[in-house]
Amino acid sequence: MSEALRTVGQSVAPIYGMEKAAGTVRFPADINLPNMLWMKILRSPHAHARIVAVDKSIAGKIPGVVAILTHRDVPKVLFGAYQNEIYPLDEEVRFVGDTVVAVAAEDWNIAEEATRALRVSYDILPAIQDPEAGSKSDSPDAVLHYPPSEELRPGDIRPDQLGTFGNIIGLREGGPTVANERGDVERGFQESDVVVERVFRQAQVGAVSHEPRACVALYENGSCTLWCSVQDPYRLQDGVARVLGLAMEKVRVIATNLGGAFGVKVTGRFAVLCALLARQTGRPVKIWFTREEESLDSHNRSALTHYVKAGAKKDGSLTALKVRTFLDNGYWPYGGLGQNIAFAICTRPIDLYHKCPNVKWEVYAVRTNRPSTGPYRGRADAESHFPIESVMDELAEGIQMDPIEFRLKNRLHEGDDLCSAPNKVVSTVWVEEAAQAGAKAIGWERRSLAGSLNQGPRKKGIGMAMVIHSCGSNPAGTSEAEVTIDDEGNISLFSGTADQGSEQQTTLRQMVAEVLSVSLDDVGGSNADTSTCPYDSGPFSSRTVYATGIAASRAAEQAKTKLLEAASLLLDEPIDQLVISNNLIWSRRETSRRVTLGELARLAGGSISGKGIHNGKDDRLFAYGFAAAFAEVEVDVETGQVKVLRLISSHDVGRAINPMIVEGQILGGALQGLGYALSEGFYFDPRTGTALNQWFLDLHTPSILDAPNIEPVIVELGEPTHPFGAKGCSEISYVGVAPAIANAVYHATGARVTELPMTPDVVLKALQDAKGSVA
Amino acid sequence: MGPQELRDVALKINGTVHRLSVNANWTLNDALRNRLDLTGTKRACDYGGCGSCTVLLDGVDVYSCSILAVEAQEKDIQTIEGLGDGENPHPLQKSFALSYAAQCGWCTPGMIMSAKALLDGNPNPSEAEVRMALSGVLCRCTGYSSIVQAVLDAARVMRGES
Repeated sequence: MSEALRTVGQSVAPIYGMEKAAGTVRFPADINLPNMLWMKILRSPHAHARIVAVDKSIAGKIPGVVAILTHRDVPKVLFGAYQNEIYPLDEEVRFVGDTVVAVAAEDWNIAEEATRALRVSYDILPAIQDPEAGSKSDSPDAVLHYPPSEELRPGDIRPDQLGTFGNIIGLREGGPTVANERGDVERGFQESDVVVERVFRQAQVGAVSHEPRACVALYENGSCTLWCSVQDPYRLQDGVARVLGLAMEKVRVIATNLGGAFGVKVTGRFAVLCALLARQTGRPVKIWFTREEESLDSHNRSALTHYVKAGAKKDGSLTALKVRTFLDNGYWPYGGLGQNIAFAICTRPIDLYHKCPNVKWEVYAVRTNRPSTGPYRGRADAESHFPIESVMDELAEGIQMDPIEFRLKNRLHEGDDLCSAPNKVVSTVWVEEAAQAGAKAIGWERRSLAGSLNQGPRKKGIGMAMVIHSCGSNPAGTSEAEVTIDDEGNISLFSGTADQGSEQQTTLRQMVAEVLSVSLDDVGGSNADTSTCPYDSGPFSSRTVYATGIAASRAAEQAKTKLLEAASLLLDEPIDQLVISNNLIWSRRETSRRVTLGELARLAGGSISGKGIHNGKDDRLFAYGFAAAFAEVEVDVETGQVKVLRLISSHDVGRAINPMIVEGQILGGALQGLGYALSEGFYFDPRTGTALNQWFLDLHTPSILDAPNIEPVIVELGEPTHPFGAKGCSEISYVGVAPAIANAVYHATGARVTELPMTPDVVLKALQDAKGSVA
Repeated sequence: MGPQELRDVALKINGTVHRLSVNANWTLNDALRNRLDLTGTKRACDYGGCGSCTVLLDGVDVYSCSILAVEAQEKDIQTIEGLGDGENPHPLQKSFALSYAAQCGWCTPGMIMSAKALLDGNPNPSEAEVRMALSGVLCRCTGYSSIVQAVLDAARVMRGES
């Protein structure tokens, strides 16, 4: 890309920025329609129960109550987020907070009063509160009833494959869900000079999007329109069409702007029930979650336990890695979400440390009677890098090698095959460059191998972590895009991806403007409206800039080719003698012979358009993002308080299409990672499964006073599989923060913290344990 | 008075008096968003835990989820809609929009209203003063530094400096 680019690479202002700052952007929760009803959900007080009866008589008589839906009133049709596996309402409730009854009423107060007036009798069932206990063969079942197999589509997991294997998700009795094995770990440990063995525990955390999920459904003339907080509008369109028995084109889902999503806003019951109520009442219906509902009826990052054993030789070669991971999948019956996460947990770190010859990593994703867990920012890699990067640090110390040097000695290289993406090879690996740039920024040379020499109660230390994460290559994803030019010369990009805050439409339009050599202001369009935009699997796995970006660039290229062909005929010039720029095409030889893009569209019948598609499964080259996080901390050994003084987040982004947006994503992801490291946790009563801190303040997401100085570092060395060399980077900044801080705490104090979040009590206990082992 | 007893209220919002019937238990946030369609003011928790719903009441930044609509009578209520629009934005709106200080946009109106309360009383705040003044509003997207910078930039513009 040697020629100068006009728009790509510029920190242009985000297209939705002013609407957001003016408060005029309409999120799904901001839609109010005339004559609209409000919906509320009655949620289960039990972790596992069968509904015996629902008495609607009192609730139904409350003035203003218009409709009540129980599991007996809804179509028994399956839908779901990853595979069709849940009914709109079910007789079996599987966690405290599960959906029991939906009510529509004249206002939200009346709807809530009605839910309180419902009388439900339950047959209470044994519940699974702990994945490790639930994985035992004599454990009761967290899910009793599996939907019938004829409801499933080809490729879906069948109930007879799963139901007999207890609570472990997977196709083998006794599990694990997934195992990644190569070589012989026991021989590897025998050959090791240093062996480390640790148990790591991580608390469940939520995405805590500030917009609680909302849906407004309008049913008119046999068609249903939904404004809904979902990242997968096409999946919801499919679900609503299935449940309501409508043709796909009769269902329209609009999810243009979302108030944060971070991976977890996927198709759910609330929206399908909202559509059912709209049809039944003939009036628009709105549901807007409370904060408690947003915490519970979501897909949080699972709580985890990892049993890790790792070995290395003095020369710095990693010899063996043996891990057993327990993952709390929650109540979702088939566990499509957990299965994918389990696979990525045990394969991605192994790809990052590709040279490790002996591996045995088993992941047990276990159904429990807890809220569903799922793909929150940094999916799978935030789960796995905390233990792995902690152990890498410990091994490096054991063989007296610099932690960066040790990691780099064992790393993945360009062209290596990938166990996380079978039959594919990795394209670019700029992890060494990212690590070196980060090391320079933090002043790594200040860190001595001997550890901290601080006197007094406040100890300072520096630590780092190296990470791999999806940057948009996703074999399961498909993105389509369309670029049109109308007879007035207006250029529009139509893309199916919701903007949940990463302003991908800005970045995508920058690419389109670049291809067509027009200014960004000339490119408009719309996004995430199933009736006007082509299909996109959605903004997951940081795939929009990469996958949708490839599709949008291809669409723009096709439109450009059509424009040049039309101009060639009109101006009687060969295409290679034509120049396209500033909404005009002219002859290189005679610049007065020119035509506007609008005129070409008019002559073509009103518009010229191009289409582009990217399908992840077609590529042999697989792009991954890499990053290195560096933390400088101060640990008060008397109180256990960890203060992060500096956080460097260094990223292989291929190329930054919009550096301001890239930096913004890195900063935001890093602060969420800091919350995961130090303060956030979503906890449940171990006996009843009732959530203990589903309220905003008690989730302890970092405030403006908790935010340290975070410095983004952008490494731009390109990515050949993307037309502009870009890799997605919105999630990976989360991943390395917790292990980098844990390693810095170790460097400062000599205490290895193996639990997240690293709250003062956890740090104090680690300090005591470290003292005990020295004595 | 029962919670669902209707009350006629007059709310002076952005200089205009709105007369409407509200339930006695409705918050100012309910009235703004669900009855007057002033949806620029957000809500993320409904009990004073996040600040997304911040508005100005007689110039003081308050949580609209934690004040009953009936209590907000005879006060001067300012919401994000009264500050400016895309055509004529307030300097704070402009600096937030241009510098990607509004990522998802959900906390943005609350942040801007809190920042306005600060700058109305202190046109030349330090970074620490900005952080302290905005500490009642949480953001999940930005990491906060772009927000702090946007407020400092707007303050400079409002002081007439380039």
